[in-house]
Amino acid sequence: MAENAVTPIAPAAPPPAAASARAAPAKPAPALSVAPGPHIASGALTTRRMMLDVILAALPLLAVSVYLFRQYAVFQIAISVIGALAAERFFGWMRRRPNTLGDLSAAVTGLILGLSLPASAPWYVGVIGAFAGIGFGKAVFGGLGQNIFNPAMVGRAFVMIAFPAALGASAYVAPTLGVDAVTQATPLTAFKMMGSVAALKPLFLGMTNGSIGETSALAALIGGAYLCWRGTAAWRIPAGGILALAILAGASDLTGGSPWTFAHHLSSGAFLFGAFFIATDPVSSPLTPKGQWIFGAGFGALVLLIRAFSGYPEGVMFSVLLMNSVAPLINRWTIPTPVGGPAPERK
Amino acid sequence: MSERKNDGPTPMERFLGGLIPENPVYRQILGICPSLAVTNTMEGALTMGVAALFVLLCSNILISLIRPLLKPHLRILVFTLTIATFVTIADRVLAAYLYDMSKQLGPYIPLIIVNCVIIARCEICASKQRVFTAAADALGQGLGFTLGLMTIATVREILGFGTWFGKWLGWRVIPATAPAHWSNWVIMILPPGAFLTLGLLLGVFNALTAKKEKAA
Amino acid sequence: MKRNYIQQAWLVIVLACLFGAALAAVHAGLGPRIAQNRLNDTLSQIPTLVEGAARGEPLEIGGRIVYRAVDGEGAAAGWVVPAGGQGFADRIELLIGLDREAAQITGLYILQQNETPGLGNRVTEPEWRARFAGQSALAPLTVVKGRAGGAGEVEAVTGATVSSQSVVGIVNEAVARFRRERPEGAP
Repeated sequence: MAENAVTPIAPAAPPPAAASARAAPAKPAPALSVAPGPHIASGALTTRRMMLDVILAALPLLAVSVYLFRQYAVFQIAISVIGALAAERFFGWMRRRPNTLGDLSAAVTGLILGLSLPASAPWYVGVIGAFAGIGFGKAVFGGLGQNIFNPAMVGRAFVMIAFPAALGASAYVAPTLGVDAVTQATPLTAFKMMGSVAALKPLFLGMTNGSIGETSALAALIGGAYLCWRGTAAWRIPAGGILALAILAGASDLTGGSPWTFAHHLSSGAFLFGAFFIATDPVSSPLTPKGQWIFGAGFGALVLLIRAFSGYPEGVMFSVLLMNSVAPLINRWTIPTPVGGPAPERK
Repeated sequence: MSERKNDGPTPMERFLGGLIPENPVYRQILGICPSLAVTNTMEGALTMGVAALFVLLCSNILISLIRPLLKPHLRILVFTLTIATFVTIADRVLAAYLYDMSKQLGPYIPLIIVNCVIIARCEICASKQRVFTAAADALGQGLGFTLGLMTIATVREILGFGTWFGKWLGWRVIPATAPAHWSNWVIMILPPGAFLTLGLLLGVFNALTAKKEKAA
Repeated sequence: MKRNYIQQAWLVIVLACLFGAALAAVHAGLGPRIAQNRLNDTLSQIPTLVEGAARGEPLEIGGRIVYRAVDGEGAAAGWVVPAGGQGFADRIELLIGLDREAAQITGLYILQQNETPGLGNRVTEPEWRARFAGQSALAPLTVVKGRAGGAGEVEAVTGATVSSQSVVGIVNEAVARFRRERPEGAP
C-alpha cells in the first residue's frame, strides 16, 4: 500500500550534549575537546558576577530607601529577598534540580521586587510576589535563562492585581512611615489626580514618596552608570528608553503640553530605576545591538503612553512586561549579518 | 444482532472512565470555557456542573434511543438541536427556582450548548451504544466535569474570598483579619486566577498520573 | 428529488416540532414564576430604599416603570426609580429611592453590575451606597476624590473613580428625568 512505502523517520539520536555532560565526571578528561561554537569563554562573565554587580549597583538606591523609609524599607527588602530565595529552593526541589541559590539570581529578583513595593505593604505581599515571580515567571518556563518575562515584574504584577488595596495609589499615602517627605501622595499620583506639579530638585534627589527603591533619580543614575560600565547592563536599553521618553515628552512640551515637563517625566516615578535595573535583565531583553535600541525606545514610549493616557499613574512595570513579550520577535527581526556573510538582499 | 457482542466499553467502564481516567477537564481538556468562567465560587461550579450533567444525561439518552434513525451527514444537526433544547430547559428551570444563581451565572448556562463535552459524548458513545451504556457514560462524564469544576473552585474561592460554599453554607476557611495579617487574593476572583489555577491543577494531575504509571 | 429531501430530513423536522412544543410548555409553565422572581428582586428592596415604605406599586410614567412606595396603610411614602447606564465594565442597573416630593434621595441599590472585583464592585457595598441617602435631588451630585465635605458631593470608591462616576451619572440623569415627568402634586 502506498502509505507503507513512505520511509519511517529515523529515530532521533540521544542528545549527545546532555549525555556527555552527565558522564563527564566519571571519564578521564579528553586530550582534545571538540565542541560546537562559540569557543570564547569568559571566566569573568558568570551569572554570579553579573548578579553581584546588580547588588553593588543597587547600594545607592538601598541607602536612599533606608534613609527615607527607615525600618520599613529594610523590612520590605528582607521579606522579598528571603521569599525569593525560599521560592527558588522550593521550585528547584520540585523540579529535582541542584541548588541554584549560589548564582544570586533569585536574590536579585527578590531585591528588585522589594525595591518596587510601597513601604506600607503587609508582609505577605513580598512573600507571595516572590513565589509568584519565581514560580510563574521563571520555574514554569524551565528556570533561569528560559523565562520570557522579568520574574520580579511578574511577581509585582501578580500582587498588584491580587491586592489592589495594598499596592494601589492610596497605599502609598501612609502618615507614619519614615521621614516627612514621604507622607504625601506620590508625585505622579498627585499630578494625575490633583494636577499639582512637584519641584524638580527633590524629584531628582529622591526626597519624595514612591516605591521604596524608585524615588531617587540620582541614585538610579549612579548605580546604572556602574552597571553599564561593567557591561552587566546593555547601555543601549536605558539610552534608548531615556531618548524615547525625552523626545516624546519634549515634543509634547513644545506644543504647549502640560506643566509636567520631560525633565519631570525622566526623574519621577520608577522610570530610571526601571530603565537601568529592570529593563536590562539580560534574559528577557534582546541580544542584538539594534534590538536593544528598539527595546529601550519601546519601553520609554510605553511608559509615557501609560502615564499620560491610562488610569495608572505609573507604567514602568507594564511597559517592561509588554516589551519582554516582544523581545524574541525583536531578536529575530534584527539578526546582524556575520562578517563575511551574505550581503543583505535588496528588494 | 451482532451489536450486542461488539458494543464497545461496558456501562461500568464508561461510568468509571469519565470520573478520573478520562476526566473531561483534566484529561480531555474539554469544556474549558465554563471551567474558567464560573469557578470563582463553589455555588457557581456546582450549579454549572449539575446543569451540564442534566443536559448530558438527557441528550445522551435521547440520542441513543433514536440512533438507528440517524443519518451520518445530519447527525451533528440532530445533536445540536437536542442539546439546545435541554439547555434551554435547564436555563428556564434555574431562572424559576434558583434566581440568584441564574443571575450570577448569566450567559454561561445558555453557553452549555457549545460545551464540547456534551457533543463529544453524543458522538463517541450515545450515537453508537445502547441506552443504558449511554446513560452511564453521561453520569460518569457529568460527574467528572463537576469534579473538575469544583476542584478549581475550591482553590479559587478559598484564596479569593476566604470561604468555601460561602453563599449557601457560609463556611469561612480563612478567618477574617486585619489587612496587615492577611488579605483575600482578588486575582483569584478574576480571569487570570482561573488560568493559573487550571494550569497548576493540570500539572498536579499529570504529576500524580505519571507517578501512578511509574508505580504500576 | 424533493421526496429525497423529505426522506433525509424528516427526523430533524419531527424533532424540531417536538422540541419546540416542549420548550413552549416549559415556558408556559415557568414564565410567570421567572417574571415574578424579577419583580420580587426589585420589590424586596423598596422598604430599604424609602423610609416607612412597606411595598411598592408599579406605575408607568413617560414609558418607563417606576414604583410608588406606600406604607402599611397604603399612604404614599416615596418613589423608587429604576435606572441603568454604562459602567466601567458593563451596564449598571440600579434603583433610586426618593422621598414623596422627589426632593431628596433616600437610598440606592445596585441590581446588576459587572465591575472589577475588589475595586469597582465595591459600589454595591452598603457603606458606599449610604453616601447617597439624604442628598438633595434638586441639583446634580458630583464625585470627589478623598474626603467629601460639601452638600451634593459623593466620595469616590478608592481606586474606582470611573465606576463611582458612572453610578453618580446614572443617578443624576434618572432623578432629573423623573422630576420632569412625574405626576405633579399627586404622589
